[in-house]
This record gives sequence, structure tokens and C-alpha cells, in this order.
Amino acid sequence: MTSAPAPIPDRQCPRGAPLPPRRRGSRRHRPAEGERFSRAHWRRLLGTALLYFVLTIMLILFMTPVYGAIVTAFKSQAEVSAGGYWTIPTRFAAENFERVLDPEDGNLGLYLQNSLLLTIPASLFSIALGTLAGYGLGKYSFKGDGLLFILIVAGMFLPPQIALIPVFRLMNDIGLYDTLWAVIIIHTAFGIPICTLVMRNFFQVVPNALREAALIDGANEYSIFFRIMLPLTLPALAVLATLQFTWIWNDFLWPFILTQRAESRTVMVGILNLTGQYTVDWGGQAAASLIGSLPTLFIFVFFQRYFIRGLTLGAVKG
Amino acid sequence: MIRRHPWIIPASFLALPILVYFTFVILPTLNSLYYSFTDWVGYGADFNFVGLANFEKIFTDRLFSNAIKNTAIWFLLAIFAPTLLGLTLALALQGKRKINTLYKSLFYLPICLSPIIIGIIWVWLYSPKLGIVNIFLRSVGLDQFATAWLANPNTALFAVFVAWAWQQTGLNMVIFLAGLTSVPTPLVEAAKVDGANYWQTLIKVIIPMLRPATVVVLALTAISALKSFEIIWVMTMGGPFNKSDTLAVFMYSESFRKFKMGYGSSAAVILFLMTLVIIMFYFRFAARAEELYD
Repeated sequence: MTSAPAPIPDRQCPRGAPLPPRRRGSRRHRPAEGERFSRAHWRRLLGTALLYFVLTIMLILFMTPVYGAIVTAFKSQAEVSAGGYWTIPTRFAAENFERVLDPEDGNLGLYLQNSLLLTIPASLFSIALGTLAGYGLGKYSFKGDGLLFILIVAGMFLPPQIALIPVFRLMNDIGLYDTLWAVIIIHTAFGIPICTLVMRNFFQVVPNALREAALIDGANEYSIFFRIMLPLTLPALAVLATLQFTWIWNDFLWPFILTQRAESRTVMVGILNLTGQYTVDWGGQAAASLIGSLPTLFIFVFFQRYFIRGLTLGAVKG
Repeated sequence: MIRRHPWIIPASFLALPILVYFTFVILPTLNSLYYSFTDWVGYGADFNFVGLANFEKIFTDRLFSNAIKNTAIWFLLAIFAPTLLGLTLALALQGKRKINTLYKSLFYLPICLSPIIIGIIWVWLYSPKLGIVNIFLRSVGLDQFATAWLANPNTALFAVFVAWAWQQTGLNMVIFLAGLTSVPTPLVEAAKVDGANYWQTLIKVIIPMLRPATVVVLALTAISALKSFEIIWVMTMGGPFNKSDTLAVFMYSESFRKFKMGYGSSAAVILFLMTLVIIMFYFRFAARAEELYD
């Protein structure tokens, strides 16, 4: 009984496919005689049940903060002040969202716009530069290429604190302090290591035969890059786009250091400012937090596959 | 790629990225080193070269030794808690059951949230009267443990750490899950056939095969622990009584609140040197981790 692994009953059918006719009517696939009620079978079943029981408890604990943010955001101020912080709202109220988006009040609309104007170009620039560097390092070999690669990739692990003060000064000196450009440039530069790593690994596995065939056909190095290599990179670009967008959108430290006025404030800096303004207004804070997380939640829901691939590929900054 | 190319072609691809990287990453890093030997205050162009004075001062600074102590506690907790929890979750959820996909997604949902937002939400959880942590403790009769988690000097650092670990656990789980897919199934099957139980298989087969993933997880967690600033800043600003003041927070406060940029730079340099040790450790062991990148 125990020496050979017991066959696992196959209860799954391909989705949408009709059930095979001979199974129709039978509720459950019948395991081999004697196996179903054996002690080993029950022990395994009990183990699985216990595992999922523990996992479910952990998941409930894990999701409590998210639950709290969602229910608080949709609750009216009257209900919140009546003490019902952690209960499900009796009616869904939009007033918190209206308040934080109101230009006279929370002004989150402007900050969202700033964050988009920062995150999109910075993501694009860092990916473009990383693609160039990744191609140079992945498809050519030259003296010192290994050292150069390590120097660039090491940048992935640099704590931003080491560059904080000099960048603050540099941006002041070149007159970009308190503009979105300062933050765009810095995120472009700090994004180069991860983008180079991913693209270099990607180009390394693109068959060289492709390049050589094109060379024989008389294509030059640049038309090979633009016409043959770039179209192949789409999956890697998608991985990097989700990664860079999430990381730059969520970043706080750089815009906090490099901007000052409301006109150049990003959404994370704006939300933190709002918590000062709305000290006891949890509804407003929760609504702002939800709005600020929407773009990255969107990526999480629809591009999860690419995002996870990015996290494990380049194994990323936290 | 055995053939070497004329340097001009790779150089034409590499020139622009290297220029940007050098100007805005490498140069500032070196500049920080330079400022750490000065008494610059953050504005104006004149400052003096003070040699090692900043470093002499910092090692007698009570706030600095306090920050180092807090960083050490944070670092040690970070190495163990989210790593072991992430590994446990990855092992529990690695199967192909449909429900696992849902559970995995929810456990790594915090990764896509900003530390700012995580901080804001966790501040409510810890709220003395209305926070769910205390509500729960009171409801099960553990009133004596209910406290103002973030205002109590004994709990503040740990309370913030839990919020940070909430995010880091999901990230570690994802990397361990990726590592688990590279553990060859026949190897695990063979161990079972030889009569090994689950724990034996885990300790003798699966964990050793997870070495590359473990190296990545440990390096990332360690570096992220050293540089974490935002979540502490949102939740406690390093307080109360500097009890949650880590090196990253100390560096920010000295430089941008007290305008001692030269002095702050020396703190940044020390933080950088600590990171450098981890990076070297990482590259030393990462050769074995290569397969994770493929």
C-alpha cells in the first residue's frame, strides 16, 4: 500500500469540454477499491484540511489591513465617527473620494497627474537606456565587459541614501530642483541597472544565427538592432514596464527630497501630506490610499504574470 | 560570441546609458564620500574640508549608536521573520491546486502597494482605542497587552517592523516559489520512493536545492532592511524618543531636518559600506544562483 505512490484520482476535466459520456451520472470519480477508506487516505485528507485551515487563518490576518482600508474608504464620515471603523459600511458613500479629489480640498487629482507625468517618461527612458546597454553587453564581447556589467548591476543594490545629498545639490545647481524633471532623471538613472540586467539576459539567449543571417544579407549593426532584435524584445519590455511603473509610482523618497511646491508634488508625497491635514479623518486617508494604489493594483490584477516574472528575474529592489 | 568586435559598435550602444548612469548614480555616490569630509550645511557654496572630524564625531554621537542598535535589531528580525514565513508559505502553496493561485495572489498583493500607503493603513491598525489590534486583544480578554503600539517606546520599532515584514514576506514567497519550480520533481519522487517522509525530503532535498533562491532572498531582504526609510518615517518618524530611529532615518534627519549635510553624508557612507558588505556576499554566492536568472 505504501511502497508505490497511490494514484491520485483525477477529478479535473478540461474547462468547457463536455464530460465523457460514460462518466455522466456518476457524481465522483471512484478510487480503486479499498483505497478510499484506508487510514493513509484519511490522514492525507486531514493533513490537507488542516493546512488550508491554517493558511486561511493566516490569510485573514494578512488581509485585515486591506479590508480595513476598503471599508473605511467607502464609509460616510457620520458612520465612521459613530465608531464603526472595522464594520462593513451600511451604505456605500462616495463622499471621501469626492473630498480628496476636490481641488479646494485634497487636490489629489493634480498629484495623480504629476505622478503619471513622472512615472511614464521615467519608465520609458530607463527601459530604453537599459535596452541599449543590455544589447551592448549581451550581444557583443569586448575588453572589460564583465567588469562593466557588474558595475552597472551593482547599482541595483545601492541604497538611495548614498546619493541623496549630492543629487539634491546637483539638481539645485542645474536649476531642476522642485521640477518633475529632477525626479524623472533620477529614476531613469537608478532604473538603468535592473533594465540592463533583464535586457542583457534576454539578448544573450536570442540566437546569434539571427544576427549572422542578417549580416550576410548586408544589414548593418543598427538596422539589426532596430528591425530584428527590438521586435523580439516585447515580452521582456512588458516585464520591465510593469516593474518600473510600480516601483517609480510607489516611490516616495526621491520626490520628497527633490520637490517642494504642490505643483510638482507626486501622489505618494501628496497622500502623506493629506494625513497631516486629515489627522482623524480615516475615511479621507483611506480613500486617498485606495486612489493612489489603483494604477499598481491594475498592474497587479491584469499583468501579474509579467510583474512576478520581473520580481524573480532581476530579483529587484524592495 | 567568441568573435570580438571593433569596440566602436558596442560603445555606440553603451555610451548614452553609461553617461546617464555615471552622472546621476556613480558620481553622486563618490560625491557623498567627498561631502562626508566637509561641514556643508545644505545651501550656499562655501564649506570647509574637515577631514575625518565627522566620523570622529559620529562614533561618539549617542543618537548614532542608538540608530545602529535599532538598525541591528531590525536587520536581525528581517533576516529571519519574513524569510522563514515566505519560505513556509511558498512550500505550503507550491502545488497546482486552483485555490493556491488565489491564496498566492492575495499573499503577494502587498508587494504592489507603496510603503507610504502600508504605513498609513498600519497606523490605524495600531491606534490605541480604535485600532483592530487592541480591539482584538480586548475582545479575547488580553486587555493588559493592549497598548499604544507606536507611541510606546518598547513596542514602536517592532510594530513598524511587522508592517514592513507584511510586504517583504510576499516578495520572499514569490522568489522562493520561483526557486521551487527549479527543484526537479524526479529528485523529490526518488526520495519518496526511498521511504523518506515529508520532513526528511524537505530538509535533505528541497532546502538544499533552494540555495540559489535563498541567497537572493537573504541579500534582497538584508539590503531592503538597511535602506528602509519610508515606512518608518510615515509611522513614527523615528520616535518615540528615537526608539525606532534606524540609520536611514538618522541620515535623513541629520541632513534634511538639521541641515548638517556633511555629517549626514558620513552616516550615508557608513550605510553604504554596510550595504557593500552584503553586495560582496551576494556576488560571492550568486554564481550558484545564476540559474534563477535564466
